Amino acid sequence: MASTFLSLRKTRLPFRVGQTPVRHAGGQEINTSDPRKDLIRRVLYPTNIRNRASPTGTWLPDVGRRLQRAIPSVQAHETIERAWFLHQRHARRRRQAEAEKKFQCMWNAMEKLRELSPRLYEEANKGEDPRARSPAETEIWKSLKKSERRAFDSRIRGLFPRELRPPTDTPPTGGWNYDYQPTLRSSS
Amino acid sequence: MFSLRRATRAYAGLARARGNATLQNSSQNVEITTPPPPPASTSAKSESVQTEPSDTAKQSPANPSSTKENVEESTNTKKRGRVWPTKRPSITLDRPRQYSRPIGVGALPVYDEALTYIKRDSKLRKEELEEYKSLLQRAESAPDWNPADIERLRDKIRILEIQSEVNLPSVRWKARNGLADLNQTVYRHLIEQRWREEGALDLLMERIYQMNVVPDMLPEMHPSFDLRVNFPEPPPQSTVLRNRTKRKYQKIEPGVFLLPEQTRKPPMMYTTVFHTEPRLYTMLMVDLDVPDLENQTYQTYLHWLQPNVSLSTFSQSPIPLTTTHTKYIPPHPQKGTHYHRYVLLFVPQAHATERMQIPVPTDEERLGFNYREFAEQYGLDAGRGGGAFMWREVWDETVSKIYQDVLKTEEPVFGRMPKPDPYAEVKQAKKYI
Repeated sequence: MASTFLSLRKTRLPFRVGQTPVRHAGGQEINTSDPRKDLIRRVLYPTNIRNRASPTGTWLPDVGRRLQRAIPSVQAHETIERAWFLHQRHARRRRQAEAEKKFQCMWNAMEKLRELSPRLYEEANKGEDPRARSPAETEIWKSLKKSERRAFDSRIRGLFPRELRPPTDTPPTGGWNYDYQPTLRSSS
Repeated sequence: MFSLRRATRAYAGLARARGNATLQNSSQNVEITTPPPPPASTSAKSESVQTEPSDTAKQSPANPSSTKENVEESTNTKKRGRVWPTKRPSITLDRPRQYSRPIGVGALPVYDEALTYIKRDSKLRKEELEEYKSLLQRAESAPDWNPADIERLRDKIRILEIQSEVNLPSVRWKARNGLADLNQTVYRHLIEQRWREEGALDLLMERIYQMNVVPDMLPEMHPSFDLRVNFPEPPPQSTVLRNRTKRKYQKIEPGVFLLPEQTRKPPMMYTTVFHTEPRLYTMLMVDLDVPDLENQTYQTYLHWLQPNVSLSTFSQSPIPLTTTHTKYIPPHPQKGTHYHRYVLLFVPQAHATERMQIPVPTDEERLGFNYREFAEQYGLDAGRGGGAFMWREVWDETVSKIYQDVLKTEEPVFGRMPKPDPYAEVKQAKKYI
């Protein structure tokens, strides 16, 4: 025992533990009679050879090949990206120009209206609450059932119908209601 | 490898000292504490891995080289173990190379489609450019056009010149591989973009701000052209070769430490300027950390001044400066001081073509040079553009020689004041009766 300690003192341990040689043991299953020993051995001495992909794919042994397959040429990749962005830019500019023209037309029309009739101009400029119920609609609303009232209120002009349900994995158990009639407002 | 052999010798002793996990199946502990024995039947690769237990440093490069080999094998199965060059080929204007497509026609249909789209767009831009150019010609000849409108027209033409060619892969390849023709707007744009966005300017500004050049010397600095400074390389390690080799000029990274003997002579300054019309700049070099004993603080020293330096895209690079307005005095960081910061600055003058008359500062005026006052007096604003560079130096024996030969003054040595010895009396008196 003393000799081992003496040898320990004499040896110069490397600073970098990474350079200390470690045996690469493969993950072989040595099946002895006692499964506890096997388990302990497997936990104490896991395999050091790393040539399989990690479970979530954070490390892959053939990353180079995959990259080469996906992007065979950096120059080609850049060219394709530039062309795509250029196309998107042209489309965006066309859309913006179209919207701008429409807005300009509307603006000119409203200017004309203001010159011709200030009262109508005021009326046209008033904001409208699409959720509001006109007196006629309120009369209809009073005669409806609770669920029909809810359906009546949910159809707002300009918004998606609130009767829309998000898609589910499986169809409803009751089946499709072919005889469904939406409760529409008199105006829509 | 050298240190690995040491490790193996150390390991030989360690193996004896280790209790658990010995490689050989020792006679004492066989059951649990020994690792599983090596496998009998193995593939070729794992055998080659395991038959060399001592050369385990090869393990870490083995993995990347094996992936590299996979890549090579997938592309070129005939030549195994061929070394693919990892350096870029040396292409310059003197050794030009023709541009060729990166991949063949039909290899990647989306690439061909992208190329068609880009070429079509380039053609449309060029047609638009021709229209604008003819419009500009008419505008310049007609007297009733607003000069501001003509300026806007010129800007539009510049933008169209760039847009028509910047997406072409041949143009981008040439700009990246040293074949850029700086006569053309698009190449100037690409080179400037590269300088600004790929780290060169960022590194320079990082060093300038981290070394506090900006608040200490001037409030604002926004370089507009690429300034690269070359000094001779440091002396070789061996004293035999010290006087037997010719020192070549090497490029210097901003902010690094240089030896005083490297900066004995003025540097070679290479520029890439992005404006075609020649403009006048004032060049100056200052030392920011000269000690000021009276005020117990630091002052600046002017090493070099040259006004009216004309720079443009086509001006000579390196800048030819044979005789300068103010003589170049080499940097001489004093003994006992911390490192000194040296800043080389090109400031655009107030008028691009008007030459300035600046009186030559005397040696006394060099010490305590106030850049802020100087800039205000002559209308210099580094925030408008220009170029900058900085490095640092520490005292060396060469500095003594500089004081002897160039400055011809006694070399000052700085340090702390000697403290009075509190035990002086006690030391005089007898210790033992």
